[in-house]
Amino acid sequence: MGLEQYKGDMDMCCRCSTCKFVPMQQVSGFQYANVCPSISKYDFHSYSGGGRLNIGASMLKNGFNYTHKLLDIVYNCQMCGACGVSCNYAMDMEVMAPITEFRIKCVKDGKTHPALDKIIAGLRKNDSMVPVTGKRGDWAAGLNLKDATKEKVDVLYYVGCLTSYDKKLQKLARSTAKILQKAGVDFGIAGDAETSSGGAAYEMGYEQDALDQAKKTMALIKQTGVKTVVASGAEDYQAIKVLYDKFKLKGDLKVLHIAQYIPQLIKEGKLEPKKNLELAVTYHDPCHLGRLGEPWVHWEGKKVPGDRFVFDPPKVYRRGTHGIYQQPRDVLKSIPGVKLTEMPRNKEYAWCCGAGGGVCDSNPEFAQWTAKERIEEAESTGAEALVTACPKCEKTFSAAIEANGSRLKVYDIVELVEQAIE
Amino acid sequence: MTLSKEVYAEFEDVVGPEFICNDPAIMPSYYATEFAAVILPENTAQVQAIVKLCNKHKVSFRPVCTGWTGKFQAGVVLLDLRRMNRIIEINEKNMYAVVEPYVITAQLQAELMKRGLHLNVKGAGTNCSAMLRGHGHLDQSTGGDDRNHLAIEWVTPAGNIVRSGSLGSSDEWFCGDGPGPSLRSILTSATPPGVTPGVFTRAAMKIYHWPGPTKFPIVGNSPNYALSEIPANFMTRYYSFPTMEKMWQAELKIGESEISFELMGFNVAMVAANITTSNEEEEAAFKRLSKEVQGPGFLIILAGNSAADFEYKKRVLNHIVNAAGGKSLASLEDPRTEGILMCQCIRISASIRETFRPGGAFSSIPVMGQRDLTIKWAIGAGKAKEPLIEKGLIVDDGGASFGWGVEQGHLGKTEIFCKFDPQNAVAKQAVQAWHDEQSARAFKERYFALLSPGQPEEIGKALSNYHVWWNKLQKELDPNRVSPEGGALV
Repeated sequence: MGLEQYKGDMDMCCRCSTCKFVPMQQVSGFQYANVCPSISKYDFHSYSGGGRLNIGASMLKNGFNYTHKLLDIVYNCQMCGACGVSCNYAMDMEVMAPITEFRIKCVKDGKTHPALDKIIAGLRKNDSMVPVTGKRGDWAAGLNLKDATKEKVDVLYYVGCLTSYDKKLQKLARSTAKILQKAGVDFGIAGDAETSSGGAAYEMGYEQDALDQAKKTMALIKQTGVKTVVASGAEDYQAIKVLYDKFKLKGDLKVLHIAQYIPQLIKEGKLEPKKNLELAVTYHDPCHLGRLGEPWVHWEGKKVPGDRFVFDPPKVYRRGTHGIYQQPRDVLKSIPGVKLTEMPRNKEYAWCCGAGGGVCDSNPEFAQWTAKERIEEAESTGAEALVTACPKCEKTFSAAIEANGSRLKVYDIVELVEQAIE
Repeated sequence: MTLSKEVYAEFEDVVGPEFICNDPAIMPSYYATEFAAVILPENTAQVQAIVKLCNKHKVSFRPVCTGWTGKFQAGVVLLDLRRMNRIIEINEKNMYAVVEPYVITAQLQAELMKRGLHLNVKGAGTNCSAMLRGHGHLDQSTGGDDRNHLAIEWVTPAGNIVRSGSLGSSDEWFCGDGPGPSLRSILTSATPPGVTPGVFTRAAMKIYHWPGPTKFPIVGNSPNYALSEIPANFMTRYYSFPTMEKMWQAELKIGESEISFELMGFNVAMVAANITTSNEEEEAAFKRLSKEVQGPGFLIILAGNSAADFEYKKRVLNHIVNAAGGKSLASLEDPRTEGILMCQCIRISASIRETFRPGGAFSSIPVMGQRDLTIKWAIGAGKAKEPLIEKGLIVDDGGASFGWGVEQGHLGKTEIFCKFDPQNAVAKQAVQAWHDEQSARAFKERYFALLSPGQPEEIGKALSNYHVWWNKLQKELDPNRVSPEGGALV
């Protein structure tokens, strides 16, 4: 069905422009009212969520005219989902789904971005979305972790490509593993057998590659026999939990993000953050853990003929309501000495880090522009550190901080927890 | 009309290559019109330069802000004013704020609330330009329409910069009428007849006292926002009345007693839309609330400046409502629902949930005039909707209209919607026929509704040949006819 299935949704766009801003009730002033990086940077309405739907609806009707400008619009979007949240405050219509399908159609029609083609070529060759240096499990040297493909464990820790291979981010995998060890969780990793989750490929528009990866990953998980997967990357968490469910591949697998698992372990008395860290922080909600991370809702139905845009059975929209927002905040609040101050844009209407949708590869300058705005917003809270729960966010923010000479520090939540439980 | 490479390059020289585009790919997002180009000026000087080029090459232009669905001629140069988004000044002492066109109301409102101030929020919603002139739910406490425009900076269709009111004689924005040229009759609105051609580039908006919190205490995640508590000395209620006459009497007395912060003659369909998060919920709530009300009603928000002031306002309200046989809708007194409605109506001005969500489109006939008479017109327009509702062509809202008194309430706005699916050709045609018939009836009964192009002439004949003078003015202001109707802010 592809884009066609969303014709009615795209036709619903009334061009009200709320997709450009945080939900109106949450507009806290002149600054930080914008929510969509793409329209904020490129200004033409075509770069907004609504503009994308208008273009999709028109091209379905009149044919696809792939101009250079059209592809610029398509690929300069982080697919962060913020437009959908703001729209769906008031409207009953799909927003992110048709935007995603439009990109998938571009790829199917061979209208790809060369930088993303390169990434996907690497994926096809190495099962990785990032350049492969060494072995996937090298980061675990000396930690004495179980190999879940060889030993039976309760929990599989899914590490992800970026954390596995990026030398600067491998510390996150080590912190996560140490936390799980400290809590006495019976877990293992898949080491070199782990493959890319495919989530990022899907957002880039390479649907078949994403599905191939999903099948490989689920086969691996089934092989290990675990019932629970814990991911430390938000993108992987979202892929396994939401995307795999969408494609009916997940089954009854329990998928947790580490920021969700830690409060559970604290509550069970298995972890106790004791060390005083004396740090003023603000928390950045990764899109894939927050608004994009809410569970998939399976629905099949038809529009009820007549005046209203309603369906039989009633359609439940994913409006960003049920993302993981509170647990990471609970974790931070549980650490002695950590003082959490919220940024103006938070939870379901958080500003994206800039890296999503392949933008960090297709247009690094745009990714950095987006990250810089978030850094400034974080600084406005008076925080010393920006805490997130996604390696891609951390990487993008770190680069922006370095480029802009900010004093802000960036941590993944596992780094602070590891320090606090030492 | 397409622009030649040379002409395009001239426009490009004004704004830079990043901010002009004529690629066909972007046109569907701009009202599905083949514009000659879309241009994003950054400031008044650039607007002026663009308008001068339009005159030089006899190319028509239209400006737009956030812009709902609109109708535009092909070949026009579209000025998307998105980059003109600065708050120039908030003058707390003299109670005005100067903004550029793309500052949305929600931004200015949030800044004002921090300072204990507020502004008239137009019915179009806080997602629209703060510079927009028109009416809204706050009309009883802030006045509406041209009451809230002070000095204006205007690029005329010929490309001259005109500064009205006090700005015409100094750098001060405090007054729209002087010392300096008033131009109040020319600097009107986006609604025909008498749409101001050219571009408003900056305007001073009148601001008001705000007795509420600097920020509403919102809890929950979208779309389930609620208030953790009702702000001190604030109250929202919906009262229904045995008859329309009784409702109007109560509305009038509330206007005269000057106790309301916001009074909105919602029908229950609109209340249902605003307290629900989906079409299905809305439909169920509408049915439920329809059984609870005794007749037509209105929503009122009281905002006390002190506990004593609040008590006084409540007492007056109770007295007026009781005398008119009014009854509060009990289910809306639940603090959670009350808070949702309060925040929705103040910070959003309702709008999208009650207009676009049900079917995707709505047709509206707004009429201004003496409230009791326009209400009678609206009852007829509502009855004319009933066959469309029965046939399932439009959303069932009980055939109701809505409206509110402005200031003391004798004059006011009355409006009626037809919400429908724009993809349904039969429904679209039926709604258009209803719109034409009821607009014509409004005109015949001497209420001046939003009319179709061409009809201003008809109105003009009834108003001292206003249209003749307006056409002469337009000819002087726009000698090359480059600024077609609809040229003011959207």
